[in-house]
Amino acid sequence: MLLTKKPGSAQAGARSPFVHSLQRGLSHALPTMDRRAFLRRSGLGVGVGIAAGSLTLVKKARAAGGDGPAVGQGKIEVKRTVCSHCSVGCAIDAVVENGVWVRQEPVFDSPINLGAHCAKGAAIREHGHGEYRLRYPMKLVNGKYERISWDTALNEIAARLQELRKASGPDSVYWIGSSKHNNEQAYLMRKFVSFFGSNNCDHQARICHSTTVAGVANTWGYGAMTNSYNDMQNSKCALYIGSNAAEAHPVSLLHMLHSKESGCKMIVADPRFTRTAAKADEYVRIRSGSDIPFLFGVLYHVFKNGWEDKKYINDRVYGMEDVRKDVMAKWTPDKVEEACGVPEATVYKVAEMMAKNRPSTIVWCMGQTQHTIGNAMVRASCILQLALGNIGVSGGGANIFRGHDNVQGATDVGPNPDSLPGYYGVAEGSWRHFANAWGVEYDWIKGRFASAGMMTKPGITVSRWIDGVLETNDNIDQDPNLRAVVYWGHAPNSQTRGLEMKRAMDKLDLLVVVDPYPSATAAMAAMPGRPEDLNPNRAVYLLPAATQFETSGSVTASNRSIQWREKVIDPLWESRSDHMIMYQLADKLGFGKELVKNYKMQKIKGLDEPVPEDILREINKSVWTIGYTGQSPERLKAHMRNMHAFDVKTLKAKGGVKDKETGYDLTGDYFGLPWPCFGNPELKHPGSPNLYDTSKHVMDGGGNFRANFGVEREGKNLLAEDGSHSLGADITTGYPEFDHVLLKKLGWWGELTEAERAAAEGKNWKTDPSGGIIRVAMKNHGCHVFGNAKARAVVWNFPDAIPQHREPIYSTRPDLVAKYPTHDDKKAFWRLPTLYKTVQQKNVADKVHEKFPLILTSGRLVEYEGGGEETRANPWLAELQQEAFVEINPKAAAERGIRNGDRVWLHSPTGAKLDVQAMVTERVGPDTVWMPFHFSGRWQGADMLAYYPKGAAPVVRGEAVNTATTYGYDSVTMMQETKTTICNIEKAAA
Amino acid sequence: QNRAQDDPPPPPAQGAGQGGIQGQNIFDVKPEVKPDASSLPGYMEQNNAQRNRVQPGNNSPMWRGVQAGAEGYTSLPRSQAPEAGILIQEQVQYPGSRLTTAGEAWRQVRNNWILPYGGALLLIVLGAIAIFYFSKGAIETHGHTGRRIERFTPFERSAHWANAIAFVALAVSGIVMAFGKFFLLPIMGGTLFGWLTYALKNIHNFAGPLFAVSLAIVFFTFLRDNWPQRGDLKWLLKGGGLFGKAGHEPPSHRFNAGEKVVFWGGVFFLGIIVVASGLVLDKLIPNLVYERGTMQIAHMVHAVATVLMMCMFLGHIYLGTIGMRGAYSAMRTGYVDEAWAKEHHAYWYEDVQAGKIPAQRSKPAGLGADAVRTA
Amino acid sequence: MARMKFICDSERCIECNGCVTACKNEHEVPWGVNRRRVVTLNDGVPGERSISVACMHCSDAPCMAVCPVNCFYRTDEGVVLHDKDTCIGCGYCSYACPFGAPQFPAAGTFGVRGKMDKCTFCAGGPEANGSQAEFEKYGRNRLAEGKLPACAEMCSTKALLAGDGDVVADIFRNRVLKRGKGAEVWGWGTAYGSRQAGQPQGGKS
Ligand SMILES: Nc1nc2c(c(=O)[nH]1)N[C@H]1C(S)=C(S)[C@@H](COP(=O)(O)OP(=O)(O)OC[C@H]3O[C@@H](n4cnc5c(=O)[nH]c(N)nc54)[C@H](O)[C@@H]3O)O[C@H]1N2
Ligand SMILES: Nc1nc2c(c(=O)[nH]1)N[C@H]1C(S)=C(S)[C@@H](COP(=O)(O)OP(=O)(O)OC[C@H]3O[C@@H](n4cnc5c(=O)[nH]c(N)nc54)[C@H](O)[C@@H]3O)O[C@H]1N2
Ligand code: HEM
Ligand code: HEM
Ligand code: SF4
Ligand code: SF4
Ligand code: SF4
Ligand code: SF4
Ligand code: SF4
Ligand SMILES: [Mo]
Repeated sequence: MLLTKKPGSAQAGARSPFVHSLQRGLSHALPTMDRRAFLRRSGLGVGVGIAAGSLTLVKKARAAGGDGPAVGQGKIEVKRTVCSHCSVGCAIDAVVENGVWVRQEPVFDSPINLGAHCAKGAAIREHGHGEYRLRYPMKLVNGKYERISWDTALNEIAARLQELRKASGPDSVYWIGSSKHNNEQAYLMRKFVSFFGSNNCDHQARICHSTTVAGVANTWGYGAMTNSYNDMQNSKCALYIGSNAAEAHPVSLLHMLHSKESGCKMIVADPRFTRTAAKADEYVRIRSGSDIPFLFGVLYHVFKNGWEDKKYINDRVYGMEDVRKDVMAKWTPDKVEEACGVPEATVYKVAEMMAKNRPSTIVWCMGQTQHTIGNAMVRASCILQLALGNIGVSGGGANIFRGHDNVQGATDVGPNPDSLPGYYGVAEGSWRHFANAWGVEYDWIKGRFASAGMMTKPGITVSRWIDGVLETNDNIDQDPNLRAVVYWGHAPNSQTRGLEMKRAMDKLDLLVVVDPYPSATAAMAAMPGRPEDLNPNRAVYLLPAATQFETSGSVTASNRSIQWREKVIDPLWESRSDHMIMYQLADKLGFGKELVKNYKMQKIKGLDEPVPEDILREINKSVWTIGYTGQSPERLKAHMRNMHAFDVKTLKAKGGVKDKETGYDLTGDYFGLPWPCFGNPELKHPGSPNLYDTSKHVMDGGGNFRANFGVEREGKNLLAEDGSHSLGADITTGYPEFDHVLLKKLGWWGELTEAERAAAEGKNWKTDPSGGIIRVAMKNHGCHVFGNAKARAVVWNFPDAIPQHREPIYSTRPDLVAKYPTHDDKKAFWRLPTLYKTVQQKNVADKVHEKFPLILTSGRLVEYEGGGEETRANPWLAELQQEAFVEINPKAAAERGIRNGDRVWLHSPTGAKLDVQAMVTERVGPDTVWMPFHFSGRWQGADMLAYYPKGAAPVVRGEAVNTATTYGYDSVTMMQETKTTICNIEKAAA
Repeated sequence: QNRAQDDPPPPPAQGAGQGGIQGQNIFDVKPEVKPDASSLPGYMEQNNAQRNRVQPGNNSPMWRGVQAGAEGYTSLPRSQAPEAGILIQEQVQYPGSRLTTAGEAWRQVRNNWILPYGGALLLIVLGAIAIFYFSKGAIETHGHTGRRIERFTPFERSAHWANAIAFVALAVSGIVMAFGKFFLLPIMGGTLFGWLTYALKNIHNFAGPLFAVSLAIVFFTFLRDNWPQRGDLKWLLKGGGLFGKAGHEPPSHRFNAGEKVVFWGGVFFLGIIVVASGLVLDKLIPNLVYERGTMQIAHMVHAVATVLMMCMFLGHIYLGTIGMRGAYSAMRTGYVDEAWAKEHHAYWYEDVQAGKIPAQRSKPAGLGADAVRTA
Repeated sequence: MARMKFICDSERCIECNGCVTACKNEHEVPWGVNRRRVVTLNDGVPGERSISVACMHCSDAPCMAVCPVNCFYRTDEGVVLHDKDTCIGCGYCSYACPFGAPQFPAAGTFGVRGKMDKCTFCAGGPEANGSQAEFEKYGRNRLAEGKLPACAEMCSTKALLAGDGDVVADIFRNRVLKRGKGAEVWGWGTAYGSRQAGQPQGGKS
């Protein structure tokens, strides 16, 4: 007597987007079957029409404080947003009923993710519950956090800031912005800090891909991923080196695995056998920190066998000959094996796979960037790709997987200490350009700074703010030490040298945390440290920020596509959007009007907030350099509404699709108008899916390498050779970037309108506010505004013009330190003295490698993100990773009497000790241990629960690896060394 | 490595010498695959990595492991989900089952053996008792003297009844759990039956430990008088006089050999098994990892033992209620008539008469428990 | 009639747990109950494969056979569902299930487990399709909405396929054809007693 489910009535025309997405994903492999056929065959043709009705089942999903109308009576809306966890940029449809986020549905139409999500994206709706979020502003009083009102908080903070500004100058405050901010907020943040009078601001990109950005931009023009996740479907071979995409960019594997099924070979080079390695055809275990020996080992075989693309190198690459000489001399197979541990045969095999399966692509991520020589490592990768002629080619490219959801955008237009939005360096010209765009006087901004000198001096980096506090005043390259820090969407446990950070935090006069989950910083600040460090006048404030689902704005994915997030719900509890807080704080600080001069205001829960669209329009009008100008809010929104129009492999919109709401014709656009999308929106530049691609017209997203380093060096031509140019360009030789002079010389000046001519006079394409130069060069003549030049294999302005291997400062191999020593110390580097040799040599002399014989490296778990406070507060995720652990090889474990699951102490040379669980696993080799870096809330064995603001402690707490990490910074960007340091592990007494 | 054709694991098609890689897949055309790798020495001993090296994509070693219940990695903590890493339960062959996944094997044992045969046994025993009762009627006591002997002290009685009540609760609830769906569900319908069984299941789970404690008390209380004694064998050989002419019961001490059999077989032997397995099922044994395999075995043991126990005690209950006049009141009031004692427990009666055993063992009400224990 | 089945393609699954949290999210499954989980074999060594597993909705379901209160039923689409009103939380289904699918909100002593919960193939339970009661007890009923299971729809690599057995087998078979390897349809032998989906004898388990 089994029951039988009553079959429902038919839902006519219902489609199964799932199969649709499969079809898209498997475009050719699937027998054509329409959705209806699938439904019929699935027995789903008889589904019931309850789609709407079912949405009323939301009582459980009611978010806190929801005192709107009773559930079931209100309207149901579907808001399209984008996952806020990583740079893949997976779209999500949020179902909202009466302002409560009740459900989430996959967006099968998204060409980026076809509805797919990893654990974090699939659990994103928890943001709408936000059980463990900070609910109202709080202040630390006698070691406990107490609730205060927004007014009190803003007033007190502003008063403190003004005091400090007066007493010590604007450089005494350090602003840590966020790549969690959307473009508009990140941009506003940079503007805010500028108006405060300082360059002392930074965000996650510093400790993420700063070395990539610097290295890659200096190689060929732009410091970004050249192609896209989707384009990897065109690859025939992919080398992942220092990327664990399966955990860090899971949905990117959707494209890669599909590609693999079509025959693409996959190679993974990593000290760890990762989930990505599990999918590889070839896994290469390298010693952490030895990427250059490996890459140049590969390059050695490429050159030796004549596999390099000679014509490409001749036409488009500068300095490859010098590199070749260096590599052939220094990186013979024996040296390679000695340095990275990979035997010749394997290196040869990798070289052969890459060379014989072109286009081949390279993927790198933190395994390369987070080193004292990160800038050189990433360039070694670039050089390999240049030698193989893979850059500017569909299926090739340097697929640099970026980090946070909007780290690309925040790098492009956000709070960087050395540049204004769009990588306009902090030189006077840039300031004038932006003063103009912001509608304020240049002199007024200048007056806000301590001096004109400080205005053009890059600020301190987030990786080093602690030294800005702790370093003796004489040694630092600014007048005051740092006295206040504002953590505005950044976690503390993501920066190295935790023990010292605790001391620095205690010494501050003011610590402000603006974050939906400020608790990691909060607990660390409230936890008692050394009494002599504590500044008795210190004030600590926590301000509840709204998440990206409680506001709207644009976000730039790793492939440079920009997506618009609709606002899903109103800010929960008392939280406020970041740009609202910026405005309010600016107002209290006296420059509110200037900050929002070009924006309309909207009322959110009764308070004024700048309209994000207007901020984007200001970006559109100023950020010419990297083509953030064509992506008007209207175009972006049309893309979001019509995702189905875009091809999954090329990202190009099929012809004839018009946006219903605006009538905008999407034909030819690439999804999300991947930057550079040149000129103003009216120019209808389609965005650039693959950078430097000469096989396409510039008005179809084509291009060539950027002329950014002059036209000639030491008698050698830096511009592209004749005949190498983007498809259909009127100039078929290399050429420099466009400005009013060149335009006039070419006789194209007359093609500008009268108004354009007035605006463009004396300007170049980057500063011409009319966009006219761009229009004429690109649209009329098919020429790239940034010129047509060669990529640089030799970057003469870097410490190592040709990438050199140098051992990490904390190395387990003194023999290799002797052969490959680190850099000399630097005196005033990003305003701070920075040590290399001193520390390294002392380590060798002290024989620290004997006490700490294991390489400690760190990275990501798929379930958690960044410092992890956000994701560890999401019970759907937290349940899946409940313990901080360290991976240790069975051999190393056996030597220490450690068994799987034991508690162990991890000791580091800083004196820190971490109480973690041992995971005995073959994932790491016997010389290496690995820890996820997402944990916090335990401090050297002690639970920090008592120091959290009440109710705001995450579900899972654990020991942060960065409590134990050591000193070491990249010689160009000040990237912290988080991937190669040393430690020892001992079994904890039971 | 030649396994019998009907010997399931490892599944067919990976065997050496089968000419190629059918086990892997039929579509394979990739050049790096070595179709004849199966002739390599140690092919069958290869692990997945080794196999992947010669035949990329041939995961037979792994699947074989999965089939055999191999444990993989899962991020769920073992303390919360001890078996989350196991994809498919390992294969076992429980007595009476095929060699198959443990759960399926357990299902076969339970559904094909324990329930039908256990149920049948219970029904047969019930039937036999019924037939016995209707054919022979109750065992009567002949005569009445009016002199009473205290057979059970209040302590003994309360221990017994606590035990008896728990037992009945367990048996009834257990029977409904095991057999209810065959006889109750069709009458009651799913929902009602669900609620009833839910209640009974909880009663069962809580009555079990109660029963365990009372059973121990009963055991020690009645231990002394259940030691085998002279005459027990004779009693048994005569079948307790049950089948002979009424009133010609062989003499026995306080408890006759039949009762002793119940005591040792039912209370002691089955009791221990039932209690132990029940406590496992109840997850009351500390430091035991309650994996499925453990539960399956505990369940089978429990079910078999309880069925036997029920059969045994059905007899006991029959005799203790309608089967024998006077027995029930003995346990209810504690006293028996001398005639009853003489007829059913002749040696005991003689001992009482001889003063070896006091006729009144408990102190009259109002005295402390100590007094009671003099028995 | 269509017969609903899962296929998890171990050549694609990357243990990202997207399926797991999609399920938690869609059905508001509490902590401790994992209708779906991901297992990695040969973890950390070459040959590593991951597999996502939930209730397979077996043809001759052992859980169904051992349930003392017969609270399981099978829909026309072959989905094995159960009735929480009837369930007594005895745990027998979990002893019997080869895949470890049945879950219990509690794991206390005295056999206190609460009502069994397991993957419903996103098809709810005996209550009216799409009703509040159905949602609270079993989660959403996506099938009735004309949607397929949340876990499969959101799977990051489309490793997890769910739907009509014939259709998903087709999709899978095409994939296998293209890549020329990894043809094992995991779990089908155990769940459906047959080795379907594209190869004569490859269904290993
Ligand atoms: N789940 C999840 N996803 C994320 C994030 C997250 O926090 N969680 N964060 C996002 C962010 S901000 C970023 S930047 C990306 C990072 O993404 P990834 O860089 O892919 O992630 P990681 O785990 O930090 O590091 C990748 C690998 O580098 C290896 N490695 C360590 N040292 C070396 C070395 O010296 N050389 C080489 N070649 N490899 C080495 C590690 O073993 C590790 O497997 O992920 C993004 N996505
Ligand atoms: N040892 C080690 N250390 C590392 C790394 C490593 O691999 N190993 N990786 C490094 C890398 S690549 C990175 S990117 C960093 C990442 O480290 P962090 O960026 O410091 O880590 P997250 O936790 O992602 O921090 C983001 C913060 O922003 C908050 N947030 C989210 N949305 C919003 C919003 O809309 N507004 C505001 N105001 N706040 C918001 C979150 O709650 C969270 O507190 O860690 C670095 N540190
Ligand atoms: C210490 C004593 C006992 C304990 C702890 C105990 C415990 C259990 C438990 C936990 C179960 C599993 C059902 C569930 O989890 O809800 C069970 C089943 C059962 N028990 Fe007991 N029990 C005990 C004694 C008995 C006794 C004395 C009997 C019978 C006389 C009995 C008969 C049964 C039966 C018939 C089943 C069901 C078997 C089936 O459904 O296949 N139990 N018992
Ligand atoms: C409804 C259930 C039961 C009834 C009506 C019942 C009745 C009786 C009666 C009348 C006697 C006295 C017999 C005599 O005077 O010799 C007795 C004795 C006894 N009963 Fe029960 N009983 C029941 C259940 C149980 C159970 C469940 C157990 C133990 C598992 C048990 C254990 C004993 C013991 C140990 C004695 C003492 C005699 C001996 O050792 O055999 N009884 N019972
Ligand atoms: S975390 Fe990244 S891969 Fe995962 S759903 Fe979000 S955007 Fe996609
Ligand atoms: S997988 Fe387990 S729970 Fe699901 S139908 Fe099969 S036996 Fe039942
Ligand atoms: S736990 Fe519930 S569903 Fe499972 S067998 Fe017991 S009564 Fe049936
Ligand atoms: S089918 Fe639905 S209920 Fe089952 S695991 Fe997937 S999401 Fe969960
Ligand atoms: S979502 Fe897909 S790839 Fe990720 S674990 Fe689940 S089945 Fe595997
Ligand atoms: Mo990052």
